[in-house]
Amino acid sequence: MYEVRFHGRGGQGAVMAAQALAEAAVIEGRHAQAFPYFGAERRGAPVMAFARIDDRKISIKSQVYEPDLLVVLDESLLDIEPVARGLKKDGKAVINTRKLPTEIDLGVEVECATVPATSIAMEFLKAPIVNTAILGAVVRMCDLVSMESMQQAIANRFGEKFGETAAKANAAAAAAAHAQAAIGRCKGRRPLAQKKEWLPAWNEIPIGTTLDERIVDGVTVGPGGARQNLTGSWRVQTPRYDKEKCVRCQRCWFSCPEGCIKREEDEYVRWDLNYCKGCGICAQVCPVKAIDMIKGGSR
Amino acid sequence: MKVMVISADHAVAYAAKLARTEVVPSFPITPQTLIVEQLAEFINDGELDADFIPADSEHSVMSMAVGASAGGVRVFTATSSQGLALMHEMLYAVPQSRLPIVMANVNRSLGAASGIWVEYNDSMAERDSGWLQVYVEDNQEALDATLMAFRLAEDRRVLLPVMVCLDGFILSHTVERVDLPEQEEVDRFLPKFVPYNMLDPSDPKLMNPIVPPEYAMEMRYQLDRAVEHSREVIAEVDELFAREFGRSYGGLIDTYRLEDAEYAMLTLGTATGLARQVVDELRSEGKKAGLIKLRFMRPFPFKELCAACRDLKALGVFDRSASFNGGGPVYTEVAAALCNVPTTVTGHVAGIGGRDITPEHMREMYDIVEKASRGEKVRPVTWHGLRGDME
Repeated sequence: MYEVRFHGRGGQGAVMAAQALAEAAVIEGRHAQAFPYFGAERRGAPVMAFARIDDRKISIKSQVYEPDLLVVLDESLLDIEPVARGLKKDGKAVINTRKLPTEIDLGVEVECATVPATSIAMEFLKAPIVNTAILGAVVRMCDLVSMESMQQAIANRFGEKFGETAAKANAAAAAAAHAQAAIGRCKGRRPLAQKKEWLPAWNEIPIGTTLDERIVDGVTVGPGGARQNLTGSWRVQTPRYDKEKCVRCQRCWFSCPEGCIKREEDEYVRWDLNYCKGCGICAQVCPVKAIDMIKGGSR
Repeated sequence: MKVMVISADHAVAYAAKLARTEVVPSFPITPQTLIVEQLAEFINDGELDADFIPADSEHSVMSMAVGASAGGVRVFTATSSQGLALMHEMLYAVPQSRLPIVMANVNRSLGAASGIWVEYNDSMAERDSGWLQVYVEDNQEALDATLMAFRLAEDRRVLLPVMVCLDGFILSHTVERVDLPEQEEVDRFLPKFVPYNMLDPSDPKLMNPIVPPEYAMEMRYQLDRAVEHSREVIAEVDELFAREFGRSYGGLIDTYRLEDAEYAMLTLGTATGLARQVVDELRSEGKKAGLIKLRFMRPFPFKELCAACRDLKALGVFDRSASFNGGGPVYTEVAAALCNVPTTVTGHVAGIGGRDITPEHMREMYDIVEKASRGEKVRPVTWHGLRGDME
């Protein structure tokens, strides 16, 4: 049995990538499964997806703890999540980055493909949805499924949901990534990122899970917990605001899912970039194009 | 003490008043209506200093109850049948938030086969919600159990909501003698409510947030243990109550003429009173019959039942609701509790949809259990008073 774990952020398409990989394997007459693991749906939050491929029916439904293949859709996760945990010594990794494999320290030294999937996605799909691009690199890295089966799986899944044009654009993104992927060995020097977690025993949880503000095991719990969770670090594109064009309609303020757009006294707006995760909804709803999204997560 | 001739609904309303309830969110439903009407009158007449909130549904009632209790006040409400079903979603928020809300549920059949008469399928459906459930036998117990419910719910070792279940019409609309305690006595028994889990804007807290799988299991086990530990407090509260008011109910279960009994029935609600009379008749005929009264369905008295049944050859279990193809819910739970005790357990469904349970029905139940106690083969579950032969 071949086991794959995808790490991405909500909105990048990790779940669809896992499903397309499973479908490609089924197209080739094998057995496969794919499933997601994420919390309350939230664009930009770290998510995982899993896939299994085998020649026989797969009965296990547990998560994947010792993957043969690791797929990382967002390079920034390497610093905050122990993504390579459990990766087999002879396993493989596919990472969305502009760097070469030798420039990446995954924490485990394995055969690795790197691909600038975000740039490819922006070029072919006009959005940082990197799942199909990364699948092209996955095919290049492992002889798991053929490129024809993968293209067919992408066409099936994306065509059904988003139409033929979208299916073609996604297939083209996969092909571009297949061509552009760099193959090598990544470094395994640094320790895996330690995720701060508060995992209390049943009798350590306050009665009725009623939490006052405090820090336990390095984690802020209770009111104010969001202070520690700077969603601005998720950003790969940043809003640019043209005050001259702004008509002060407040649609961006109303639509921001993070509540990080502030209304000034004169009714113009500003962004709290500690929390703006770069989703681009403000740019989409602006009726006068006073907001556009520029590449990069810097301020 | 004042002697009154009142219905159980009014007895419950008096208990909520004597408990100095501070907020009463309510929605009327027969046969519970007399409770909230009486409370509205108490408040209107200045006899009770509380907020009465008429709600647009029972779902809103329980939502308001949660909000008020989390706001730090003593909350009482009452419902029945379809009303309890409509509360279902919000009921689950209460135990996990550890809010000591007290609610009377006047048992009424949950439709279809709609009716306004007693059946326990409304409250039995909520036995996995985390609410403690006590079933009462008469109007005096309706009042006393409601008073004890507040003391139990608010105990720092418990902090759980309590549902006081009473038979629709058979208790709710029946008047009988009720001894009404004095306010000073109740004040001694039930101290002023000091909230434990309270939301206060000047001291922000997060109550029961959405949690990923990393937390839910520990939270559930904490609740499981809280319900289990309430067993000791129930016994304590019963003793305290006896000391103050001179009446005792035995805690989780009570027994009647069980000492040397060879067979017995286990009943809950008003059927218990009928069973007492039938046991007396059987005893006068020289038969060794006894009775176990189940008071609490949650916490379920696993240990107490094993101890009580140790010398019984057979136990019949009365149910006023059916679980369909498996007898009633009390039967299956008692059978599970006694799985390591050699007592034969039989199920007896009766009084469905408010059908009157006659002394003959109860006698019939005892006769079957007696046969089982002699090793004779009997039906695992019998419906009593059913037209047509059972399959």
